[in-house]
Amino acid sequence: VQVQLDVQGSTITNVTVLQYPSGNGTDVEINSYALPQLIQETLDAQSANIDMVSGATYTSGGYLQSLQSALDQVSAS
Amino acid sequence: MSTTVSGAPVVRRVEQVMGLPVSLAFRGRHAGTPEGEAAWRDAVAELRWVDEVFSTWRPDSQVSRLGRGELALVDCAPEVAEVLALADDARAASDGAFDVWLPDGQGGRRLDPSGVVKGWAVERAVAPLLALPGTDVCLSAGGDMVCHTADPEGPAWEVGIEDPFDPTGLVARVPLRRGAVATSGSAHRGGHVVDARSGRPADALAQVTVVGARLTGVDIDATTALALGPDGPGWLRARARTGVVVWADGRAEVVA
Repeated sequence: VQVQLDVQGSTITNVTVLQYPSGNGTDVEINSYALPQLIQETLDAQSANIDMVSGATYTSGGYLQSLQSALDQVSAS
Repeated sequence: MSTTVSGAPVVRRVEQVMGLPVSLAFRGRHAGTPEGEAAWRDAVAELRWVDEVFSTWRPDSQVSRLGRGELALVDCAPEVAEVLALADDARAASDGAFDVWLPDGQGGRRLDPSGVVKGWAVERAVAPLLALPGTDVCLSAGGDMVCHTADPEGPAWEVGIEDPFDPTGLVARVPLRRGAVATSGSAHRGGHVVDARSGRPADALAQVTVVGARLTGVDIDATTALALGPDGPGWLRARARTGVVVWADGRAEVVA
């Protein structure tokens, strides 16, 4: 895989795949997305200015304790 | 009320559908207008229809009857064949680790297309919201989402990736204008992804998140990588996928 890296300072901010192995016919996409940034310290969604949370499937119980639930309440209250 | 960088207020809606919280965030011209509310109702109605047809929790759904052999595929809604074709592609691409025909523990197989349906359903349901002019939209079903900004250069949606060991914390964040994010893991339902080759819970990885253009594909690939366990991150890289993997020991790794 040949990629183009966008670097700011010492941080890779974006990876664009220029070439990828010829696939097996499945839906390999040519990606150009900002790289996820790992978060080291504990942050809540609002102090991190997060709009939405991606997590594993919520049951109702798991959802009630989740950050997404906290976000959903913001405009409900 | 939270605001964006540009100051447009984010309007939020949430509804329980398919046994999941479905969350909408929108901002801009039609956020909260009658047109915006109508598009949200249409999105929810679409998800409710998908649930009626595809739910494995409803014994009378078309998929439940198909799985028991009481209904032929040709007698199902055409969308059922569409979903099963996607599942066939995913099974081939994963050498069988991803399969909607799962071992039932008694030597047989049961049909459970949930691993395909959710992302595919959100991608369908978001259509009326994407048609709202001048409006940024992010629609999530249980943590799998489609994001869209009306202006391709406008402020991105900031997506947090949940910590599988602490649902009040985040392991990573990713800004996204137009695209999709899906996360698969066992944080909330306890080992609900299995390696279809062995029937055993896939437990080497705690969580896999994939970011990409289309939710149907990233949702399937996140679940497949989780099922592949230790081979999951390499499999994602071979498919030129971007995402975040959290190993069972808590270590988080960016895949790119």
